[in-house]
Amino acid sequence: MSENETQKPAHGKKNSHYLTGKEIRAIVRSNNKITRALEKKKKRKAKESEFLSEMKNPSNILEIEDLHTYFFTEQGVVKAVNGVSFEIPQGATVGVVGESGCGKSVTSMSIMQLLQGPYGQIYSGAIRFKSYDFKRDQKGKPIPIWETDENGEPVYEPVYEKKGKKVPVWETDAEGNQVLEPVLAKDGTPVLGEDGTPAMQPKQKRDEKGKKLFTVEQVLKLDADGNPVMQPKQKRDEYGTLKFEMEEKTFDIAQMPMREMYRLRGRQIAMIFQEPMTSLNPVFTIGNQLDEVTLLHFPGSTKADAKRRSIEMLNLVGIAMPERVYKSYPHELSGGMRQRVMISMALAGDPRLIIADEPTTALDVTIQAQILDLLRDLKSRINGSILLITHDLGIIAEMADYVVVMYAGRIIERGTVSEIFHHPMHPYTIGLQKSKPTMDADSDSLFNIPGNVPNPIDMPDYCYFRERCSGCIKKCFGDYPEMIQVSPTHFVACHLYDKEKAND
Amino acid sequence: MIDEEKNNEAASPAAEEVEMTEQTENDAPMSEDEAPKEPENEAPAPEGKPSKKPERKEAFPDPAIEEKNAACVASGDFTGFNDEYEAKKEAAAREEKAKADRDLPADPDALLEVRHLKMYFPLKKSIGGKVSLWLRAVDDISFKLKPGETLGIVGESGCGKTTMGRAILKLYRPTGGQIFFEGKDIAKYKPKEMRPLRTKMQIIFQDPYSSLPPRSTVGGILSEPVKVHKTVPKSEIKKYVLQVMDQCGLRDYYYERYPHEFSGGQRQRICIARALSVKPRLVVCDEPVSALDVSIQAQIINLLRRLQQEMGLTYMFISHDLSVVKHISDRIGVMYLGTMMEFGDKKSIFAHPMHPYTQALFSAVPNPNPDVKMDRIVLKGDIPSPARPPMGCKFHTRCPYAKEICKHVAPVYKEYEEGHFVACHLYPQEEE
Repeated sequence: MSENETQKPAHGKKNSHYLTGKEIRAIVRSNNKITRALEKKKKRKAKESEFLSEMKNPSNILEIEDLHTYFFTEQGVVKAVNGVSFEIPQGATVGVVGESGCGKSVTSMSIMQLLQGPYGQIYSGAIRFKSYDFKRDQKGKPIPIWETDENGEPVYEPVYEKKGKKVPVWETDAEGNQVLEPVLAKDGTPVLGEDGTPAMQPKQKRDEKGKKLFTVEQVLKLDADGNPVMQPKQKRDEYGTLKFEMEEKTFDIAQMPMREMYRLRGRQIAMIFQEPMTSLNPVFTIGNQLDEVTLLHFPGSTKADAKRRSIEMLNLVGIAMPERVYKSYPHELSGGMRQRVMISMALAGDPRLIIADEPTTALDVTIQAQILDLLRDLKSRINGSILLITHDLGIIAEMADYVVVMYAGRIIERGTVSEIFHHPMHPYTIGLQKSKPTMDADSDSLFNIPGNVPNPIDMPDYCYFRERCSGCIKKCFGDYPEMIQVSPTHFVACHLYDKEKAND
Repeated sequence: MIDEEKNNEAASPAAEEVEMTEQTENDAPMSEDEAPKEPENEAPAPEGKPSKKPERKEAFPDPAIEEKNAACVASGDFTGFNDEYEAKKEAAAREEKAKADRDLPADPDALLEVRHLKMYFPLKKSIGGKVSLWLRAVDDISFKLKPGETLGIVGESGCGKTTMGRAILKLYRPTGGQIFFEGKDIAKYKPKEMRPLRTKMQIIFQDPYSSLPPRSTVGGILSEPVKVHKTVPKSEIKKYVLQVMDQCGLRDYYYERYPHEFSGGQRQRICIARALSVKPRLVVCDEPVSALDVSIQAQIINLLRRLQQEMGLTYMFISHDLSVVKHISDRIGVMYLGTMMEFGDKKSIFAHPMHPYTQALFSAVPNPNPDVKMDRIVLKGDIPSPARPPMGCKFHTRCPYAKEICKHVAPVYKEYEEGHFVACHLYPQEEE
């Protein structure tokens, strides 16, 4: 059993992970101390200056620096993300790849501050995000942009009453003349007019169920003198949503309190989850859930605005009949359609960064191809960045500009997509690429990385991959390797590439 | 109180397991009296009214409609084409073919031969118990599998690949068709007659987390099939089980451990060891690596291949991952909505896939090479509901090459090269 030889025999230390009640209580006590302080920090009222920050490189949209996200469990502290640093440039797609449990999802959850508290906490580190938000006046209200004509004069528009007038829709013939019908009494006999002929009335349009049709007509708001009330006209964007002045700020998400996160979450950072089946609410229509984004994040939008925007968004993701989907419930749609709806929901907030957490894992290959095509197409349209999390190297190769390879909570290699795929350096990255059967190559036996990912509680202080690595050298029995820069964009954490330093 | 609750919780997965094994033995999800009936497109006339029967019979081979349809096909103009009649005609033709094939002897070279296999599930029943709507999960599938070979079955979710695997193992009672295993037709076997054959055909399930009983140790799990089938004398069971464990890469001290102590890859090894402990000839692998990580996938695939060489196993490998299927299979079958679209040698299928669906499937697989920009065929739309598959060719709603004839007439499943079967109108349909 060559593949199991490197695995440690568990003889003797059979109960090594068994803890007594006393030990567990001690762990819980020390955990509670830490988590309580962190929770308090999350719930505090903070001034903006407390979490304002500066980007190291202004062309980046997100910079993660030495992020530590821990889970404080009864069995001990699980260091799910253990010192992760990477950045996402504006307009780029960064792919994070790794096996289950390597901390790729937890990294994305940390960016959104969606960790399950009080157990999951961002312990230390910085997540700097360049936000592009409404400029607010002193009262905290967003400042609108007014429409102007050619001379720079403001444009005015009349104000309408909130409640419109209900007007019947009349049937018309081909020439546009009103169609008349005889007036019928309750018993069905025609009513006779004064001159003895049957009395006629305009015929009202009916829908397919026979219900009379009405439209709502807007009513001008009049002031005391009977003149229409006028107001300056606010600019609208291509989807008909009101425009406000914007400004750029850099926030440190790790320091941000929960209530401030609402400004970013769903609006500037949107997330597409793995399972479209479980991430849509089954009791509301798609339209209801989509409108929510607009109503919540764009001040001053009415329900009609929201609907218009939602349908535009559904159109954008290639749904053929957006009006019908708008009215339907999630269970009426197929998996691919639901994922499209999820993507449209992410787009509705006009985000700068989209986190796609295994967006196609639950879908069939043909549907996956559709969704990947869509994501690529959208990225060029919205000028946003995508953080793509997946375990499929094929998807990364196709979609990403930069690749981050994670293993057991740490980044072991990162670089541009061609660096990672053409010159992989870390033995794990090399093994991962060799272990995946490909469509064009014909091999007899697959390369396999022996063993399993180490236990996340009490990680060793040497390289986490040592037990499974085929290229171990003497140095590997020492400390955890540092990140070594091999090219301006290529970094690797492995002792094998540390030779110059060793020779010095 | 608390203890009781805990017990109940712990018991429920075990109960599931028991149900599963029960199904293995009791087979049919349907009741006895329905199963043998072969549902046809036209409703069979009730027996009490013989007067109606001849009327219906007369209505069917109607030369007038047939001529009109034939004219439509010849001219390529399908206005006035009678779709219902065509469907009836096609069903009748298939029935006839199945009847004609029924008495043919089984291929002596093949370990498994499937002929016109059908697996229908009732969806709607009227008050009288008559089924008005069938879900045709597997509809008229035929193939042969030689000993020592691996057949890969690919297709999207809901295409019936898992149902077919289970129907072949008689975990369901097939609605129609024949299954020859070692030259004997087992399709009509009763559960009791199937018992001795169970040692020769085994299954590995997709999810290693839910297919192992949490209450028994690895030793217990692995020795149970041996005990039930009495293949090994009682005194040697432990020795035998340890040997099987060694073969599957499990250490001997795992014998006393419980499934929850293992990771996904190790659990899948236990599942494989359980299937192999009775020394089967045919193993149906139902997505055995889909739930595993990439590096563990490679371990399991290598293990399966090694065991195949050592024990001369025959695999039916069901998966939606084309690259895995390509790696492990000798023959490949592509399924869509319950029918086989293309079937053939791995080499000939991958070298020149003939069916548009196969071509689209192959091009949809992401390539882990950033420099290769593929001309991908992206299929539009979703897979239609298997309860109401489209008329004509089932794939025509998504096919980029769909012609008018595809919408009305089902293509013939035909052998174009040696061992390479395709059902598509793009290729000549007439018998030569």
